[in-house]
Amino acid sequence: MTEEAPALEIRDVSHWFGDFRVLNHIDLRIEAGQIVALVGPSGCGKSTLLKAILGTHPPREGEVLVGGEPVRGPNRNVGIVYQNYSLFDFLTAEKNVAFGLKLDQSSLPFRIFQYPRWRKLRAEQMRMAREYLRRVHLAEACGKYPHELSGGMRQRVAIAQALILKPKIVLLDEPFGALDEATRESLQLMLLHFYQENLQAIQRGEVPEYTILIVTHELNEAIYVANRVVGLSRYHDQAEKGAMIVYDRPCPIFSPDDPRDVAQFIEQREELRRAVFDPNYIKHHQKYVTFWKELADQESSVGNPAIDNAN
Amino acid sequence: MIRHPIPKWLFYTLAAAGVAAAVAVYAGLSVRQTWINPTQNILPGIKGFVVGWEEITKPRGNERRPKPSWLSTDVRATYWRLLLGLSCGTIASVLIGVAMGAYEAAEAFFSPVINFMAKIPPTAMLAVYMVVFGTKLEMYIALVGFGIFFTMVQSIFQAVKKDVAADHIDKAYTLGASECEVLVEVVWQQILPRVIETVRVHLGPAMVFLIAAEMLFASEGFGYTIRQQSRLINMNVVYIYLAILGLTGLCFDWLLIRLRRWLCPWFGD
Repeated sequence: MTEEAPALEIRDVSHWFGDFRVLNHIDLRIEAGQIVALVGPSGCGKSTLLKAILGTHPPREGEVLVGGEPVRGPNRNVGIVYQNYSLFDFLTAEKNVAFGLKLDQSSLPFRIFQYPRWRKLRAEQMRMAREYLRRVHLAEACGKYPHELSGGMRQRVAIAQALILKPKIVLLDEPFGALDEATRESLQLMLLHFYQENLQAIQRGEVPEYTILIVTHELNEAIYVANRVVGLSRYHDQAEKGAMIVYDRPCPIFSPDDPRDVAQFIEQREELRRAVFDPNYIKHHQKYVTFWKELADQESSVGNPAIDNAN
Repeated sequence: MIRHPIPKWLFYTLAAAGVAAAVAVYAGLSVRQTWINPTQNILPGIKGFVVGWEEITKPRGNERRPKPSWLSTDVRATYWRLLLGLSCGTIASVLIGVAMGAYEAAEAFFSPVINFMAKIPPTAMLAVYMVVFGTKLEMYIALVGFGIFFTMVQSIFQAVKKDVAADHIDKAYTLGASECEVLVEVVWQQILPRVIETVRVHLGPAMVFLIAAEMLFASEGFGYTIRQQSRLINMNVVYIYLAILGLTGLCFDWLLIRLRRWLCPWFGD
């Protein structure tokens, strides 16, 4: 694998609204192929951080880099999936998925003045969109409009729509919050499949395709689908300055075929709850920020357990 | 019970009954009026309408200089004015409405004038249009175009503000859209059914302004003929003209609904 800039790098980002400090000197680096869960109490600044990464609300201080490039506004390097799906009502599922390809690979004048060439390119884009819909198990829904799909189906379309452009990072903003338990679980499995594909790509020496930052309020979900959990909270020794990253640790890696054994992550869930959500548990804000150190220790002692697991 | 559905056959039977009731009321009044005054033409019967139809469809002029019938002249004049006025008004309001909904600077610049002008009845502006544009085609286009423009801009502005979510715009950028593409591929596509609905709603007022202007200034057109014939109490002609206006209005309405269903199948009914 070639040496690349991190998929996402947040450098010393702070943000405030008037006198209210929301984010306080946030530093975060996410490498390609990581699936990271971001958790935190309501109102702690998760959405503000997400908007800073997306580029819609730049931070007051600090810098956000995606693929080594500073974020100046929403762009094709950062994909987004919202809780309310936000599919384009006027496009069918396959056209929604192909929409990014259309915008990314052709210009308006090209589509108008070079229509025959555009038709040819379009056919290829639609084929690719159908392939992505097949990957998210929605091959049968290609021609349906969003209002004809269930919540879970819409969210799958939204994920395929974001992934098809192969952005440097995809942000999932509480993507499964409005879904029933069964649909939620099937989408969680889909993320585990993506992680497996990442591991296989790393084994082949390729850049992994899926780098995902998922915001969720479900701690079990965070530990289950991600290989790293980041906690953002104001409950630390510098609370008055705003929220900081108070938890950053690896998670157990699950294969989609493994039974969903909740017992495996009870201990980490309790640690996470205490470190991020307990206002009475005041600690040094760096106490649980140990992801990169633990990863280095792990790799030096037993090789890469994630890749072993994929085998 | 409120909003309780009824069977289709009952729905259509009641619709037909409504039409039949209106015709029956007219027929009753007409018969009564004819009994009082056998030569009356205020509420003509079938014979009167046949005469009226022949009158308006009869070719005019003479063998050396033939002229088209009243109906053909009036249809051409009125609907040409309506089409041009409606097209100009719609195109201008889409451009300004979308600009106002998309850019706050445009909203700040246009909204005071638009909101003020929307409160002035367009027919009251007739005098201004007459002075500025004369009494030719341009005046009718201005009357219909400006008549619908201000309220149409407000509707389209609201559609862009309310129907196009900020998430959709941000997402389009994350999918590689340029600003122009966001306007054309997202904003326009999302508001298109609202634009068609707005045109439908404004068809009626546009017709009101046009007929009023034709009654005052025109030498041909529906408004002109209705005014002339009502002065002569040729109500058999007037009612036929009114019926044609109603039917063509329904046809336009139906065509716009079909257009919306064809272009925006996702919008539903």
